[in-house]
Formats: sequence, C-alpha cells, structure tokens
Amino acid sequence: MGKTMIEKIIERASGKQVKVGDRVWCHMDLSTARDFGGANCTEQFDKVTDKKGLVWDPDKIAFTFDLQAPAHSEGVAKNQKTIRDFAKRQGISKVFDINWGIGQHVLLENGLVKPGDVILGTDSHMNLLGAVGAFATGVGNTDIVASWFKGTNWFRVPESMKITATGTFGKGVCMRDYLTYLVGRLGADGMSFRSVEFDGPVIENANLAERITLCSMVTEMDGKIGLILPNGEVLDWLRSRAGEEVIERTKMITPDADATYVSHMTVDVSSLEPLASCPDAPDNVKPVREVAGTPINQVHIGSCSNGRFEDIAAAFDILKAGGFTVSPSVRTIITPSTREVMTRCAEAGMIQKFLEAGVVFTNPTCSLCTAEHYGVLPSGDVGVSTTNRNFIGKVGKGSNTYLMSPMSAMAAAVRGVITDPRDLLR
Amino acid sequence: MKITGKVWKYGDDVNTDVIFPGKYTYTIKERSEMAKVALEDLDPEFTKNAAPGDIIVGGKNWGCGSSREQAVSCLKERGLGAIIAKGFARIYYRNCLNEGLPIIVSPEAVDAIEAGEDVTVDFDRGKIVTKKGEFAFPPYPDFVRGLIEDGGLIPHVKKSLGLK
Repeated sequence: MGKTMIEKIIERASGKQVKVGDRVWCHMDLSTARDFGGANCTEQFDKVTDKKGLVWDPDKIAFTFDLQAPAHSEGVAKNQKTIRDFAKRQGISKVFDINWGIGQHVLLENGLVKPGDVILGTDSHMNLLGAVGAFATGVGNTDIVASWFKGTNWFRVPESMKITATGTFGKGVCMRDYLTYLVGRLGADGMSFRSVEFDGPVIENANLAERITLCSMVTEMDGKIGLILPNGEVLDWLRSRAGEEVIERTKMITPDADATYVSHMTVDVSSLEPLASCPDAPDNVKPVREVAGTPINQVHIGSCSNGRFEDIAAAFDILKAGGFTVSPSVRTIITPSTREVMTRCAEAGMIQKFLEAGVVFTNPTCSLCTAEHYGVLPSGDVGVSTTNRNFIGKVGKGSNTYLMSPMSAMAAAVRGVITDPRDLLR
Repeated sequence: MKITGKVWKYGDDVNTDVIFPGKYTYTIKERSEMAKVALEDLDPEFTKNAAPGDIIVGGKNWGCGSSREQAVSCLKERGLGAIIAKGFARIYYRNCLNEGLPIIVSPEAVDAIEAGEDVTVDFDRGKIVTKKGEFAFPPYPDFVRGLIEDGGLIPHVKKSLGLK
C-alpha cells in the first residue's frame, strides 16, 4: 500500500516502517524556541540537569526573538538575556536576535528548513513550515526540553486528508480567503490531529508567501501539519537557500498514487469572495460584504500568516487604488515578517508611500498576535487584522477583532469601516 | 486510582488564552502563582473557588490556540483532578501528558454531567460515575501509559539514557 507525505517523513525520521496510529520516536532536524517560551525551556533544561546538562547538538537548536522584539519591559528583557546566556554556554550559534523577525520565516530564509525535516518549536504556528514540505509542530516547553537530551521525540502517525484547489482567484480575492473559507467550512477542530496535503493547480502555481498563508492556520483547525510538495519557483528558491539536497528530499516525500486518505475534498476558488473571521473565533466566517460598514479603530497587516513581501504589496495596491491615504480615524500598522521582507519593501519604494499615507510601519516581529506587544487594543475597540487568531481579548481585554486578507484589511484602513476590497478595485 | 470532585463545566473550543492569559507568561514564573490566575478570563468563580480534586468538563477541542504549557501547569498546580472533554486540541493533549494531568475523552459523559455535581473517575475500572449513570472510557494507549508510569516525558527520556 502506498504512503502519504507524513508517513514518508516519519519513516525517515524514525528509521522505521510505519502505519497510521503507530507511535514512534523520531530524530529532530531542528528543535527551536522563541523569546516567548524560550526562557521557560532553558530554565527547565537547567533545572532537570542540575545546570550540568549539555544539549545533544548545538547546531540543531535555534532561538528566534520574534514576539516581543525589542524587549518592551524589564521582565521580557531578562528572559531574552536568559536565552542568550544559555546559548552562549551551550555553544548554540543560531540565535536570531531582535533584529531578524518571525522565527519560522527567518529559519526558511536562512536555509535551515528542508522538505522532510522534522522540527519542533514553541510557537503553535510552527507548522506553517509545511509550506515547503517540512513536518514542524508547536509544542510546550517540556517537549522541547525532552528533545534536547538526544534529539528525539515521539509522534503518532496521523491520518491524512487531502484538499485540492482548482480554478482562479477573482479580483480582490486571494489565498487568505481560501484559507478562511476552509476554516469556516471545517471548523475549529475540522482537521483534528490530522496531516493535510494541499494540492491542485492553485497550489502548484502559488508562490511561497501564499503557501505559507495556507499552512499557517492548520492549527486553527486542530491539524497536525499542512503539507505542500515543493515545485517550480518555490523549489528553485528553496534550493538556493537550503542547498541541492532539497531536490532529493522532495522526491523522498512525494506521496504515492495509491496512498490512503481519510477524506478528499476539492474546492473551486473561482467562486470565492473576500471573507472575514468575525469576533471572536477564526471559524466564525462571513463574507466581508456582510459586515461591511462596521466602524473600526485599528488595522494591522503582518504576522506569520500574512507578513510576506507579496502580502504587503497586495495591501499597497489597495492603498494606491484608494488614493494613497488611510482614514485618519483608524490606526494602521504594518509589520513585515522579516528583515529581508522589510528590505524588499524599502527597495520597492513602498515604505515611504506607506508612511506618507499615515501608516505606522514597524520593525519585523510577530507584532499584534498577542496583547503582549505595542499596539494593543483598549477595551471597546474593534480591530481588523491579518493574524491568525481573534479569540476574545487576544489583543486586549474587551476588544474584538476581525481577521481578513491584506487586501480587505487595507480597504478597511482606507475607508475607516470594514470594506469589500472589490469596491476599491472597480 | 480514583478521584471524586466537583464539576466546573464549560463549552466548546476553550482556548489557552482564557485558561492562562498571555500577559502573564513573562510576569508569572512560579507554578504556585500560575495556579492563582487559572481560568481568570473564562470563569472568575473558578479562579476564586476551585478546590484540589475538582474536575473540569469541557466540550470539543479543549485547549486550542497557543502552545503555552502554563495553560496546563496552572491547572495541575491548582490540584485539578482531571479534565473530561469531548475532545482535546493536540498540543494541549501532549502538554497534559507531559505535566501528568489526567485527561479523558468521553462525549457521552460530557453530555450527561451537570455543572456543580460531584463526579468520580475510577481509573482502574475505566469508568466515570455521574448522577445519570456510569460511562466507560478507554485506557491510555500502551505507549502513553509507559510515559505516564515513568512520571512524564523527561523522566522517561532520562531513564532511557540511563541518566538520574
């Protein structure tokens, strides 16, 4: 019987033949922690080894400072220092400090992620690395610490589902809307513990930014990982960053034609329209036009879901269509996902235009993914954001957030109320 | 092992931000302090009054959202006896195993149990005893039981490496 992508990945990592339901020990290619949670890991490792323990391989551990960068309080600063000190003591050189950006994106850009890799991290959205065929997952600090002893951890081989996308996005509609559609259709536990293979012509033609968007919210459907087989320009890019081995790895994880899937659905994206996750859950999905006119106080464009160059460029096009001004009644914040993305935005001349339009353009971070960052919302305010969660109070107690695409978010910033971006593109 | 406790009942998709607010992840490092704010944004009554041995009953997808382990630590430290739910989010599920907090999947029991009643979980017989009758639940898989019997993932890994 044929194997799915996740079965092939786990077979490589465990060195065993596996089937769905098996629980096996796997070798980690990378075990990472971010500033948010990282100090808990280093302190716990020191505690359980009486500060004498050495990590199994300093080259396979990375720290990324992305949630609260630069530090905004003494507590945060102290935790970041704890991580830096631990890394120095353990000989860990992959410390991507406050000047780099969002961890998963930084790891990708630095060629540290290959198709078929198994990667742990303290961020629940680690699994966006499935965008290049890696099996990455968010875990708690105990799982990270346990992996640092000898580079292993255990996984249950999950059932796989397949979701195929056909057709072409209409004007004002993009990958984020396809993702929002899936979250609304499948629900908050619609991928429960499963691996999901995304395929079809829409995916094969998608750029890296779009693939990242799609895989970034698998967690919001309780999925284990969303996987895309690298091809075309994405594979070329990956090869340029991570080396020739990615070609062989891509072959290795290619699913067999007779692999078994518990479900297979096909979606024609041509019929989609701009969608929003309404307060206070990602799966509370409505068309943007149904909530159009809702007054808002703040717009945020960025995050591991939609903070790539292409996302910011899409927002730029809407700003241009709207006359290069954002509504003075709305605070508009744009946060690129990495320094590399920010540099590209600068080179393209976009940052100056954003600033002139009244946008706050920040350094690369996770930004408004939690209330632990500048820009939090006061009670009673309504926000629009391209992040991945809008749980009650997530970015400020008593506030509410609508999640939507960069195009829809910028349309809201321009008009000062929730706006269907197609209204600006006419 | 058998535990009996008062039930605190909640709905579907309860996320880790309301179990342990993100604003505390840096300011609170001591487990005893974590316990004091457990469920603060979901149910202030629980935060004030939950007693050791009490049981949380949740709907589907309990513990979705952020991977923060404090969302389990705060309840474990509070002395919670168990969580019974229709289902658990996968990262939360792992964190419970790692923290040694008993979790049970039983949609039937969740539907039958009322908030505030006393419920007994009999782990040896694999039964939940409620006002409306008994509900069987399957034992943990052997692999998971092995982890739990060693005292969690880290002791298990250390044992396999011959470390104290």
